[in-house]
Amino acid sequence: MSAPRQRRAAVTGIGVVAPNGTSTETFWKATQEGVSVLDRVTREGCEHLPLKVAGEVRSFDPAAAVEERLLVQTDRFTHFAMAAADAALEDARLGRSDTEGAPYEAGVVTAAGSGGGEFGQRELQKLWGQGRRYVGPWQSIAWFYAASTGQISIRRGFKGPCSVVAADEAGGVDALAHAARAVRRGTDVIVAGATEAPLAPYSMVCQLGYPELSAVTDPGRAYRPFTEGACGFVPAEGGAMLVVEEAGAARERGVPVRATVAGHAATFTGASRWELSRQGLAEAIRGALAEAGCAPEEVDVVFADALGVPEADRAEAQAIADALGAHGRRVPVTAPKTGTGRAYCAAPVLDTAAAVLAMEHGLIPPTPNVADICHDLDLVTGGARAARVRTALVLSRGLMGSNSALVLRHGGVDE
Amino acid sequence: MSDRITVEELSELMKKAAGITVSPQELADRPDTGFEELGIDSLGLLGIVGELENRHGLPMPPDAERCKTPRKFLDLVNSTLLAGA
Repeated sequence: MSAPRQRRAAVTGIGVVAPNGTSTETFWKATQEGVSVLDRVTREGCEHLPLKVAGEVRSFDPAAAVEERLLVQTDRFTHFAMAAADAALEDARLGRSDTEGAPYEAGVVTAAGSGGGEFGQRELQKLWGQGRRYVGPWQSIAWFYAASTGQISIRRGFKGPCSVVAADEAGGVDALAHAARAVRRGTDVIVAGATEAPLAPYSMVCQLGYPELSAVTDPGRAYRPFTEGACGFVPAEGGAMLVVEEAGAARERGVPVRATVAGHAATFTGASRWELSRQGLAEAIRGALAEAGCAPEEVDVVFADALGVPEADRAEAQAIADALGAHGRRVPVTAPKTGTGRAYCAAPVLDTAAAVLAMEHGLIPPTPNVADICHDLDLVTGGARAARVRTALVLSRGLMGSNSALVLRHGGVDE
Repeated sequence: MSDRITVEELSELMKKAAGITVSPQELADRPDTGFEELGIDSLGLLGIVGELENRHGLPMPPDAERCKTPRKFLDLVNSTLLAGA
C-alpha cells in the first residue's frame, strides 16, 4: 500500500478591498504600476488630528457588497472582510452549492489588530451621552476582533474550523499559516486573511501614541522606508481574503493552484525593540524556509515589512542578509505598501495577494515613493521588474514585537 | 408620540435596529409571519425592544423579546403601553 499523498495548502482565490483597488484586478493594476494613493485624511471627525496622511479605501460601497441586515450589525472592517471573502470564493469558483453539502469541511480564519473602532465609538458615545439603555445589542459582537470570522462563517454556512488570530500585525501572515495547517490536517477549504478599518476618530486617536507613526503631511514623503528620508509609516484600511484549499482537491475541481503556502514561522522580540527584530525576523525566515524545504537561493522575491523607521529598516535589511546570506543582497526586494499605507494585520495579506499575482504575471511590483536606498538591498523602485518568480518570501513585523515569515511557491512547482 | 405602536413604527424599527425592510402593509396583511422568517433574530428583536423602551420611557416585559411574530409582539407591547399610560 502506498503512503497517502501529502496534503498541500493551495491558494485558489483572492479577494481584495484595498486603498488602491476594490477588486483584485484594479489592485494588481495599481500595484504593478506603482501608483501611490496615499493622501490627506478625509474621514469625518479626523480632520483636526495630527495624523494627516493615510491610505483610505474610497471606492467601496458597503450597501452594494453586503445585505442591510448585516450592515447594521457590523463595523466597516467586517464589511471589507465579507466583501473580500465573497470575491475570493467567487475567484476560486466556490459557490454556496459547493460548500453547503459539507459545511464542516469549510472554515474561516481572520486576523485583526484594530477591530470595529467606528462602530464601537458610536455605541460608546451613546453610552456616555445618553445612557446604557441606548447602546444597541450589536455592540456585543461588532467591535471585537472575532466579528469578521463569525459573520463570514454564518453568512456562508461554514461550520468547519473557525478562528481568529490576535497576534499583532504579523498575525495576518499567521492567519494564512493557520489556514494552511487546517487544510493539511484535513479541512477542505479555509477562507483566510485580514481586513482593517482603523481610520475612524477613536481608532486614529489610539494610534497617535505610536512613535513609529509618520507625522509628515506630504503624501509623497510620508512613508519612505529604506531611505534617508524614512520618517515612520502611514496607516491604511482595507485588506484581503484568500481561499486556501487542498491542492489535489482544487485540481479535481478543475481550479488552478495559484500558489502553495509552503512554509511559515513566527517569533517575538518585544514592542518597538527594532534592533532585536533583526534576530527575530531572521529566525522566522530560517524557520519558514526550513518548513518549505527551500534553500535561500531559491527565493525569487522578498515582500518586505518596510516599516519606515530607520532602526527597523536596518534590522530588516540585516535580517534578510543574515537569513539568506549572499543571496540576500541579490534577491529583488519590494514593498508595494508604500503606495497604499500599512493596513496593520491586513498589510502582509495584501502583500501575499501581490506575491501570488507577481508569480502569475512574472512581474515584481515596485515600491512607490521610494528612491535612493540607503541599505544593501536590491529594492525594486520606479517600475515593475519582469522576473521569473517561483518562490516568494513575505515578511511582516508588528509594533508590539511579532515577526513572521511566509514562503509561497508558484502553483506549477508541484510534483 | 402615540402611546400605541403601529405597524408603521414597527416597520421603521425593524429597518433601523435590524436592517430588515418589511412594509407596514405587509406587516398588517401577514402579522403571523414569524420574525425568524422575516430575518430578525433574537438580538435584532432585543434592539427593537430597547429602542421602544427609550422612546416611550417604559420598560417592556421580558417576554417582549421572545415574541415569535409581529402580531404577538404588537399585542404584548401595546397592552404594556396601555397599562403604563
